[in-house]
Amino acid sequence: MTFLLAAIIVAITLGITFWAGRRNTSASDFYVAGGRISAPQNGIAIAGDYMSAASFLGITGLIALNGYDGFMYSVGWFIAYLTVLLIVAEPLRNLGKYTLADMLVYRLKDQRVRTYAAVSTIVISAFYMIAQVVGAGALISLLSGGVLKASVAIPLVGVLMIIYVVVGGMLATTWVQIVKAVLLMFATVVMTVLILNRFGWSFSNLLGAAEAKNGADFLGAGLKYKNPIDLISLSLALVLGTAGLPHILVRFYTVPTAQDARKSVVWAMVLIGAFYVMTAFMGNAANVLVGKDAIEAANKAGNMAAPLLAEALFGGKGTFGGELGLAFVTAVAFATILAVVAGLTIAASTSFTHDIYNGVIRRGQATGREEFRVARIATIAVGVIAILLGLLAQTQNVAFLVALAFAIAASSNLPVILFTLFWRRFNATGAIWGIVGGIVTCLVLIALSPNIMGIDPADKTTGRHPIQAAPVFPLENPGIISIPAGFAFAALGTLVGARRRREDAEAAFEEMQFRAYTGAGMDGSVAAHD
Amino acid sequence: MTVSRVQSGFPSVRNAAYQQLVAERNRFTVIMTVTFLVLYFLLPILAGYAKPLMATKVWGNVTFGYVFAFAEFVMGWVMAAIYVVRARQFDRLAQEAQR
Repeated sequence: MTFLLAAIIVAITLGITFWAGRRNTSASDFYVAGGRISAPQNGIAIAGDYMSAASFLGITGLIALNGYDGFMYSVGWFIAYLTVLLIVAEPLRNLGKYTLADMLVYRLKDQRVRTYAAVSTIVISAFYMIAQVVGAGALISLLSGGVLKASVAIPLVGVLMIIYVVVGGMLATTWVQIVKAVLLMFATVVMTVLILNRFGWSFSNLLGAAEAKNGADFLGAGLKYKNPIDLISLSLALVLGTAGLPHILVRFYTVPTAQDARKSVVWAMVLIGAFYVMTAFMGNAANVLVGKDAIEAANKAGNMAAPLLAEALFGGKGTFGGELGLAFVTAVAFATILAVVAGLTIAASTSFTHDIYNGVIRRGQATGREEFRVARIATIAVGVIAILLGLLAQTQNVAFLVALAFAIAASSNLPVILFTLFWRRFNATGAIWGIVGGIVTCLVLIALSPNIMGIDPADKTTGRHPIQAAPVFPLENPGIISIPAGFAFAALGTLVGARRRREDAEAAFEEMQFRAYTGAGMDGSVAAHD
Repeated sequence: MTVSRVQSGFPSVRNAAYQQLVAERNRFTVIMTVTFLVLYFLLPILAGYAKPLMATKVWGNVTFGYVFAFAEFVMGWVMAAIYVVRARQFDRLAQEAQR
């Protein structure tokens, strides 16, 4: 039944893809669906991009196994959208065409910045994508009860995602994301209603049942995050990193105006908030109804908590309802993986084609048709590389790569975005120093952290630390050091590179600010997108 | 805002509506951002350093930690709503600024 439902979802998304394919005829269509996505559609798609398998399966599992700490983690994912809404969404829409680099180059008037911004985008997308692809392999193997091995599942996901993006471009990617977000919200709402029904419509009763099973610690903080500084560092990376994630940023170019960008974020915040509130119900209910032992027996990290909860809620193991519930939630999780990977792929190939190929190699001389052709070739290349890296890394524990992607986004992209928008003396040298300094600081700290360094017992065969020595840097997440470092590098570079006449920099700032705050020169995206 | 040095070729830069837009919008962004960062980071800080408080039951079995976390969601939605209302006023100023 799981396969039937998953096949139906794949068939629907492929149908959308071929429908979108007929309208996908130019570079602008490919990159940003011609800037013609409506605000509600884009908002749902942003929510979809964000509610990855890691959130849906991962957070439900975290709460089921660790109680309150798992839910506290949910809050950070939601609050991150205030940074996006308050600071980046509207100026980005007003200043750019397809990528973050467009905005930086427009303000800083230096093409070198384009290369560095593109590299940052591609690095972040690559880390995020490897984590998603490896996770996808493991999850699909788990969800299919071992029928589809990871070595089969990874190429399967890769090929589907290449078809979505190459044939349907951003329009198909957006609609696949919308279909998945609606299915995911539907599943979550139905499960939450059933949970409340079981527990007398009272969250207090649910918590009482969880406490009876696990002890009072389960309702308070501290079961998972032992070190407060590590938790604060992780929260910083989440709240500041989301506003620098390429596959989220690219969404603001798909709507016609800054007002639509604003409305999209509000739509996304309503959906994402509702979703994460409901994780508190699902996680605790999974703990009570399925049980910690059964969840851990299926998967140590807790990834099977949500599907097993659905089985329990719809009648239990062996009943028709139970199987249907399990199959539906599993199929939705599969759709989630596909949609998020497609979104990352299009962000990476857009940045490669528009910034590196056209901006740097062809010096802006490539025609729209040429960019369109190259973008599709780049997508196939990105997809194939993702499949190969995913296969290579499939036995490694790569969950930390998501945290790393957020940390790099917060330490390298966000300082540069903020300084570009608000510091009139900011210059190209500052941007380059900020991007490189942020990325390098993150990579070095991660390499020295307990993610990579650690001493394993000799009999441990899988998931060993690559460096067998005590960690030099104590925190799992580098944010608390690397984010200030990113700002410091950007500021220092600005002072070092202050050769250009200060009046020129300030004139460029005034010009940028005028456009950022009024949207002047961006009258309708059709004109703005050629 | 140093107005006198601005000679960027954008006539509206010196327009009163535009000056008002920039000043008000910047102030609003700073106030909102600082507010939400402080309110949000109270959560991980309390979770790290005030564990007994977070585990105190305040409503049936619902602990202070859960109430605080749910309140963060409400705070997020309320701030988004405030932003939307203010942004509409900024839209009007932006229109005037372009005259």
